[in-house]
Amino acid sequence: MTETSEAARVGRVEFTGSRHELFLILIRGYALMLPTLGLYRFWQATWKRRFYWQNTVIDGEPLEYTGTATQLLAGFFFALAFFVPIYIALFVLAMQESQFIVLGYLGVGLIIWFLMGYAIYRARDFRLSRTLWRGIRFDQRGSAWAFALRRFIWSILFVLTAGLIYPWMASSLWKYRWRNTWFGDRKIEIAGNWRSFAGPYFAVYVLNILTIGGTALWMTSARDYHAADGSLLPGPISTLAWIGCIVVLALSYCWYRTRSASSMLSTVSLGEAKLSVRIRTGPLFWQYVAYVVCLAVLLVLLLMTFGAVLGSVYALAVASGKAPGAAALLSLFQSSTLNIVLLIVAYLIVLGAFGMLAELILSFGWWRLLARSSTIANPDSVNSVRSAPEDRSLIGQGLADALNVGAY
Amino acid sequence: MQFAARYQDGLVADVRSAECVLDLAADPVALVILDAASREVLDRWDASAAYLLHSRMAELRIGNSNKPAGARLGVTGIVQMRNALGLLPLLHAQGRRDAWAQLRILVLATMALAAVIVAYLYGIPLLADRLVAYVPPAWEIKIGDTAAAQIERQMTDGKGFVVCDPDRNSVANVAIAGFVSRVFDGLDSPFHPTVTVVRSAIPNAFALPGGRTYYLSSLIEASRTPDEFAGVLAHELGHVYYRHGMQSLIASSSTGLLVGFVLGDMTGLSVAGAVGSRLIDNRFSRADEALADRFAANTAQRLGFSPKGLSDLLERVAEDDEFSRALALFSNHPLTDQRRAALDALDTAGPDAKPAFTDAEWQAIRNMCPLPSPPPLPPLAGSP
Repeated sequence: MTETSEAARVGRVEFTGSRHELFLILIRGYALMLPTLGLYRFWQATWKRRFYWQNTVIDGEPLEYTGTATQLLAGFFFALAFFVPIYIALFVLAMQESQFIVLGYLGVGLIIWFLMGYAIYRARDFRLSRTLWRGIRFDQRGSAWAFALRRFIWSILFVLTAGLIYPWMASSLWKYRWRNTWFGDRKIEIAGNWRSFAGPYFAVYVLNILTIGGTALWMTSARDYHAADGSLLPGPISTLAWIGCIVVLALSYCWYRTRSASSMLSTVSLGEAKLSVRIRTGPLFWQYVAYVVCLAVLLVLLLMTFGAVLGSVYALAVASGKAPGAAALLSLFQSSTLNIVLLIVAYLIVLGAFGMLAELILSFGWWRLLARSSTIANPDSVNSVRSAPEDRSLIGQGLADALNVGAY
Repeated sequence: MQFAARYQDGLVADVRSAECVLDLAADPVALVILDAASREVLDRWDASAAYLLHSRMAELRIGNSNKPAGARLGVTGIVQMRNALGLLPLLHAQGRRDAWAQLRILVLATMALAAVIVAYLYGIPLLADRLVAYVPPAWEIKIGDTAAAQIERQMTDGKGFVVCDPDRNSVANVAIAGFVSRVFDGLDSPFHPTVTVVRSAIPNAFALPGGRTYYLSSLIEASRTPDEFAGVLAHELGHVYYRHGMQSLIASSSTGLLVGFVLGDMTGLSVAGAVGSRLIDNRFSRADEALADRFAANTAQRLGFSPKGLSDLLERVAEDDEFSRALALFSNHPLTDQRRAALDALDTAGPDAKPAFTDAEWQAIRNMCPLPSPPPLPPLAGSP
């Protein structure tokens, strides 16, 4: 930090965490989830955030996550108060006549969709106000209700325009979030607008309509399909074409995601300091490929384990004098206690394994990619930022915990 | 001994390279933070108030409870870290205290949750029993109508039930209706159950909230005496009388709430939540079954037919092949030895017991669902 090089200096962002370290945190979390009846999830989330934050080193100084699990726990109890009335409404609804039920569920669904916007904003506020860098706290101002309303109205327009309005929606919501973000007493600005999204978004939109529509059109005009059980099965060439469509979809999605995030984030500035982000598409695409491959391997492994367990239980039952046959196998599942135990174990294993895989490959991958693609121009201008007075008390993430919103 | 650190005062976003030394003469012992280049004193920390924060590998982060929340010393490198820990031996103590506090909260919260679950498992059946008294009967009847439509769609793939003997004034239907009104006579129940006999290969009978009761044809075929038929019907009418359907509806809804709480998904939209609450709710029906059994036995005594028919029929259906058993009414509450013993204890038929239905009525009921006639032949092509 010498005075002479200050003007030209560019700060790097590094990520020093390893998947191995994250894996240990996740494994320990799942092991403790059962004896704590699921309550450990708040500690699990806290440990995960500590891992991501403290390994993100911006211009030589790591981020620090100061939130605690107890705050999340308290927030969850707080959120319950919101949900009990909704739940009672659902209960009363379930007893009405069928046409009422459909309308009522629609209404409750809309309320939850609206509340999710509130929850997303509050969750971001919670994370930012518990993030320290260089000893100074971030913060998010603005109103969570205003954000929820914006998001709600935009999403209705999104549906009405078949998604064509998305670039305006995305830029509006991004700007609301970022322009209310503060580092100490200095406000963060974002200069990007809908143009950052429109180019990549419409290109991907048109490309995928062309590939998918083209394949469907060709399949029907060339009659490259055969009917089976009332459903249409594509012929060999069409199958290849459909696989091609999926690859195009995945690739174009990755391209859109990296392009829009790069161009939007590159307009973020904090006073004189400017963020610059250049995420490459290839690594993100390969993350998805790795995820799909691992998912397939995991599924095979789980099925094999399940088969082995079932086989050995069956062998035991036969050995202990039961007549072999399908009936003996079925009779094993007559006891409802055993069924409940099996269901819970299967649920925990499957969900745990898939969740862990997604966290290890996708969440970790995106965070590291984003960190390593970022640089900060003129970081020393930040030196004069002063800490803001303590934030009003934020009870946990509130609804976010109950609604299952928010990764990381 | 001293160590090098990056110092942040928590007030300004500036990071200073610093050297830290102990001032043992000060009271309390102070950690003096000096600028690494100019040796000017940047800050003095109460050494006993310093504590360790979570940090990445090969880095120490030290805060101070007497200083601004963001005041930090960042120490990197093995040598410097060892020096810092040597200079401030109390650092770890604070961390250990914090870990114990976290553990205590976690254990307490878990115990509280476990207590809620236990209270729920024992409390909800009682609570549902109380709550059901506040549900207006008209409302319950409406719910029963909705449930009937749903079950009909589910059981027949949307084709609808085939009602045996739709004529409400036939001998069989009049006999059954007469039996129902005799059972409910003088019970002061707001419900007037209707029994519908429906064609089905599954030996089952069930009652819905509000009094709609279904008796499936296979169970009639399995019945050898009128008392068997009457016993099971009285059992189902017991469910109507005690409003068990409504109770289990209330109980299952609150189970959803509990499962949602444990899994952290309050929207209750998750499939696992729904399945989980279904399974746990089987637990509530055992006591209900016993109550309905007792109702059937008391009814038999009152009307003067033998209460043995109910357990005979249950036993016969249970002996059938296991596949149909899994689908039958008794799958989730099988005829346990306990239940059988309770039924036998209630079996106090007087010596002058006479069947619940006359021979003529019973014949009519047996013939309600004749074997289906073969499907009509397709019309010949070209025929008018």
